[in-house]
Amino acid sequence: MKTQDILSKVNHDSGLTVPPGYFDSFNKQMIESLPVQPWESERPIVLPRSFWQRVRPYVYMAAMFAGIWCMMKMFDLMRPSSNNMIGFSNNSELTAAISNDEFYYDYCMSSLDETTMYDALFDEGFNPEELNN
Amino acid sequence: MADNLEYDDKDLVARLRDTKTCRVAFGDVVKMYSEPLYWQIRRMVINHDDANDILQNTFLKAWNSIENFRGDAKLSTWLYKIAINESLTFLEKESKRNAVSIDDATANVLNAIESDKFFDGDEIQLKLRKAIASLPEKQRLVFNMRYYDEMKYEQMSEILGTSVGALKASYHLAVKKIESFFSDDD
Repeated sequence: MKTQDILSKVNHDSGLTVPPGYFDSFNKQMIESLPVQPWESERPIVLPRSFWQRVRPYVYMAAMFAGIWCMMKMFDLMRPSSNNMIGFSNNSELTAAISNDEFYYDYCMSSLDETTMYDALFDEGFNPEELNN
Repeated sequence: MADNLEYDDKDLVARLRDTKTCRVAFGDVVKMYSEPLYWQIRRMVINHDDANDILQNTFLKAWNSIENFRGDAKLSTWLYKIAINESLTFLEKESKRNAVSIDDATANVLNAIESDKFFDGDEIQLKLRKAIASLPEKQRLVFNMRYYDEMKYEQMSEILGTSVGALKASYHLAVKKIESFFSDDD
């Protein structure tokens, strides 16, 4: 007999059998008997958050804004401002003081250097010989 | 049966990887694969009780190493590998226990098949079982997978780690030997 004839006669049936309802009962028992794996009970542990942990982001944010404010204030102070300059035109007290001859000679003239002062004297016709007499 | 073996689907593998759904998903795996795996094991070890024990061990081993299953291979391939390894280990232990080779051990088991209450085949089926039992271990395995499971050579290649060409040659040789067994018996 040819092998193909034999195989076609058998038609993929091995003749082996199982007890009735075997696979259903096997599946049920197998699933029930699966041991519990360590990773099955693993749950992420959620720790209670302290007061500081809750407010920390807000504190950090407030500190950051405060730092920015301080930095801006410092830059503002360092910047040369036109309001801080003392000018004659917009300072009436200074204008009045300069107009006062006494103040002018006491404070402003004293700051003149000697050469300028002699130049002014010579321009007015000062003669040094007169001092020797 | 080969079409029924294409159980692998992405959803099932995804559920197996999730620790919350893994147990239920593995239950589905047991339901889907118990029968094809059982027949594969049974044809190798012949005895129903032995096949039952090996099937249990196969699923237990798969369950215990489910974390290592990364989905690179097909789920069916992975399970078949475990089942075949378990069956071969069993046959090896049996042959050592009886101090005979694996092939002889299977032949001894096969001799008892006639009195097996879970065999209701006719004369020609019994003769074919004997012819298959006379084959070397690897050829027997290849013949069973190809003929009874109608498994594709490509999947067999993945499971057994042998090239498709070698499997085809092995199956061809097995068929020739079975033919020779029948002609000698006549």
